[in-house]
Amino acid sequence: MMDNILTNIIFLPLFAAVVLGVFRADTKYLKIGAMLSSVATLFLVLFMTYNFDPHAGMQFIKISPWIQNAGISYFVGVDALSLVILLLISLLMPPLYIYMYHEKRKGYWYNMMLLQTGVSGAVLSLDMMLFYLFWETMLLPIFVMIGKYGNGLHRYNSMKIVLMTILGSMSMLFSIMYIGYIYFETHGIWSFALNDLASIDFNAQTSIWLASGFLLAFAIKIPLVGFHTWMAPAYGSAPTPAVVIMSSIMAKLGIYGIWRFGYSLFDSTLSYYAPTIITLALIGLLYYAIRAITELHLRRMFAYSSGSHLSLIALGLFLGNIYAWSGSLYFIATHALASAGMFIVIGLTYKRFNTVYLDSLGGIASKAPRFSFFFAFFALSIAGLPGTGGFVAELLIIIGAFKVNFYIGVATATTMLSAMVYIFWMLQRALFGTANNEREYEDLSFREMIMLLPLVVLLIATGVMPSFFMQIFDPFLVSTLEAFTLNSGGVK
Amino acid sequence: MIEQLILTLPMAIIVLGAFVLLLISHSKRFNLDRLNLIAVFFLILSSCVQFIIFKSNDIEFLFSDVFGETFILDTFSRIFDLMFTIGAILTLLINNDYFKSRRYFNGEYFALILFSVFGMMMLSHAHELVTAFIALEIASLSVYALVGYHKNNRVSSEAMLKYMVLGSMTGAFFMLGTALIYGAVGSTNLSDIALYTANHNIDEMSLLMVGASFISITIMFKIGAVPFHSWVIDVYHGAPYPITMFMASTFKIAIFAIALRLYIVNFGEVNVFWSELLQAITILTLIGGSWMAISQTLVKRMLAGSSIVHSGYLLIGISSLGLGSEMAGPAVMFYLIAYFISAVGSFGILSFIASQSKTQMRFEDFKGFANRRPYMALMMSIFMLSLAGFPSTIGFLGKFYIFTSAIESGQILLAGLGILTAFISVYYYFKLIAMMYFYESDEQKKKLPIDISTILIFAMGLVVVWGGMGTTLIPFIPGADGFIDIAQETINSLK
Repeated sequence: MMDNILTNIIFLPLFAAVVLGVFRADTKYLKIGAMLSSVATLFLVLFMTYNFDPHAGMQFIKISPWIQNAGISYFVGVDALSLVILLLISLLMPPLYIYMYHEKRKGYWYNMMLLQTGVSGAVLSLDMMLFYLFWETMLLPIFVMIGKYGNGLHRYNSMKIVLMTILGSMSMLFSIMYIGYIYFETHGIWSFALNDLASIDFNAQTSIWLASGFLLAFAIKIPLVGFHTWMAPAYGSAPTPAVVIMSSIMAKLGIYGIWRFGYSLFDSTLSYYAPTIITLALIGLLYYAIRAITELHLRRMFAYSSGSHLSLIALGLFLGNIYAWSGSLYFIATHALASAGMFIVIGLTYKRFNTVYLDSLGGIASKAPRFSFFFAFFALSIAGLPGTGGFVAELLIIIGAFKVNFYIGVATATTMLSAMVYIFWMLQRALFGTANNEREYEDLSFREMIMLLPLVVLLIATGVMPSFFMQIFDPFLVSTLEAFTLNSGGVK
Repeated sequence: MIEQLILTLPMAIIVLGAFVLLLISHSKRFNLDRLNLIAVFFLILSSCVQFIIFKSNDIEFLFSDVFGETFILDTFSRIFDLMFTIGAILTLLINNDYFKSRRYFNGEYFALILFSVFGMMMLSHAHELVTAFIALEIASLSVYALVGYHKNNRVSSEAMLKYMVLGSMTGAFFMLGTALIYGAVGSTNLSDIALYTANHNIDEMSLLMVGASFISITIMFKIGAVPFHSWVIDVYHGAPYPITMFMASTFKIAIFAIALRLYIVNFGEVNVFWSELLQAITILTLIGGSWMAISQTLVKRMLAGSSIVHSGYLLIGISSLGLGSEMAGPAVMFYLIAYFISAVGSFGILSFIASQSKTQMRFEDFKGFANRRPYMALMMSIFMLSLAGFPSTIGFLGKFYIFTSAIESGQILLAGLGILTAFISVYYYFKLIAMMYFYESDEQKKKLPIDISTILIFAMGLVVVWGGMGTTLIPFIPGADGFIDIAQETINSLK
């Protein structure tokens, strides 16, 4: 059971999709099948988490040969870093399926199941080529979902996100192949397993341009400022479930990639890029926040807000001290929960008002109190309301920033302020004031409350008792950071 | 003597089949269906005989007491023969509906296909330059005739003329090169040439190098490398769909059969001289092909343009081969197989659609295709992904091997350029997927006819996916490793 548990977690949704597809299931059964697969996956993940030992490093490893001539193997394993993201994806899937309850278009469901397999595979794989496979595969469902089920200029935007992301991943592929070749040159056999490749000592120059291939892929995925032109259009025209996965999970995979592959392959080289990325992240913090303040389209606003917070996470990662790191990892989790909730609520808004433009909302609070509560709660938890997990995480990153440099600390702290600005202003215009919309609408139904409640509970729990959650990844962070500072003397 | 005759059986069966088809093609008793089946019967018979009589690792010269070392039988030629026959079988079976939907097809068509397959088989067996030239011309002449098969169509006739005039002219270069090489070596036998190149310095071989360059011109022309590419798009466009499919998949591979043999066995030593030239051609091919593919509005022309890009990837492999990469030979071979399967599949679907309508297929005509024909659209997407080199398909592994071989031989920039054009190709392949899936269609969903062509297309789709990510965990079925093992074995038999 424990031996193949990761394989089951990765391929269960795909398996369900294939079975349902082969039997050409009706929408009714498709719904049930998808829901069952996601719940079963969630149970598997929780069961694995229960057996997970925070002090043990890589666990539940499974290696089997795959394409032997090229040294590509099926190599999966989980440690605290991947566990966090794996937990998130499997926690978010059931609420999303509840959200899609009335969805009649079959392709939607298949794409979601495929997406879950792609994302969990990317998080768990430890072989570079396997990672690349999942990294690309998870793009296909997003491409189809934006292009087929999106709104606005969706076809154009889906092409745009695919091309930009593939440009990044192609450059990563080039670096992967080159690293594989260096391993082949020194050891005489091909291997793409991460622990094999991590043992290579590159010379500084090679290492710098190899790292750039990876960083381009991850910078586009996050996206850091300058690589972000796909973000707002894609978030704006994607259907809600796709947007939730994109902002909560896929953007975080960019960070995950730097953390997992960047630090194990090019530990000291990353400090060469650190000033650039810290600068970009600081610019991103402010730039995205300002764009969010000026934006009237809710989904685009929170696209920018998500960009701003991901810049904060990237910043925390590159600051390279324990506060910033645990803040970053914690923020990955809490921001995923909060932005998932927020984008679902925006989706609900669209279902009710058929628009998400701020100037045609307003006056909701008096008519739909429950809706307004959830709307405000998720918005505030994105802004870092004390008592929610986001607050703890942002605080940790800011402390980490002050540890490194006073000015960086000050600049980082502005993120909380600017977030407050657009969140409160948005809340005021969306929920209060006079209604700019004549439509009749219902308050939240029971089903919608059920789907949002877990997120609320988790956000409060992460805010109230952070130490309970942090014990999962604290040993991992301490040991990785030790190894990292040993190699490079810390990032200054 | 009898043994030797048995060894020639696969080729003999094909020629015999061609003549039988010529004889019976005007009889009223045989309609196109039956003729097609007869042609396929001969092809299948030939490939079965190949399976039975050849033992691997067994190099033999046919009728060596009469012809000398003119015809060689080795694993290399055997694998290529198999690919040619399979390619022809697939072309004939998948296009069965297309033949019936067009008036101009008649029995000679099948005979011409068989003649062309015979030429290609001879080409893969040729161990002597003049023989290679004759084989190349047999194959080419049949293809010229096939391209212009739609006599009353202006585009088709224009394509035929264009291809024939240019093709014959570059064919002359092959002859000229052979003459020059004969002048230098005193023989046109490949073993003698290999001996000569191994025992001489680069400075002493200028005549041979000029000759070899002339031969390269013919090869570059036939695969559509860029300075010699002007015919490709028009000819692929003008030819009927089955012929385009046959040319893009099978005929192109045949050219690489002789190219690989020449470059690995003979001209490996003189590579220093033209490696830069080859690299320049490769770069031009990659960029020019991408440029042409990106600007097309007809799907067929886009695929034609992209086939130039695929020649470019193969040239990357050939170029790394010359620079001494161990992986390059198998990589080229694997890429040929991968491209073969994907091209057969994608052109097969095109001709499947074309058999039901008479219009040109623009990208716009694919709008809502996924609604009308969900399974065909899925298969088309798989082939497009494979051609684009998306992971989990066989096309990705093909590119992976090619690019690693380029890195291995130190051509990092070439590998980078290859990756860049692969990125560009994502645009035009995904454009088709986007057209198929992103638009709703008013038309009713059509029922998928379950006949031989759809089944074969599905089989190809399965092979594409399985070849990209098949595991070896399932017993008795070779995984993704299977094809590269075959490729390895094929190339090893050359050395």
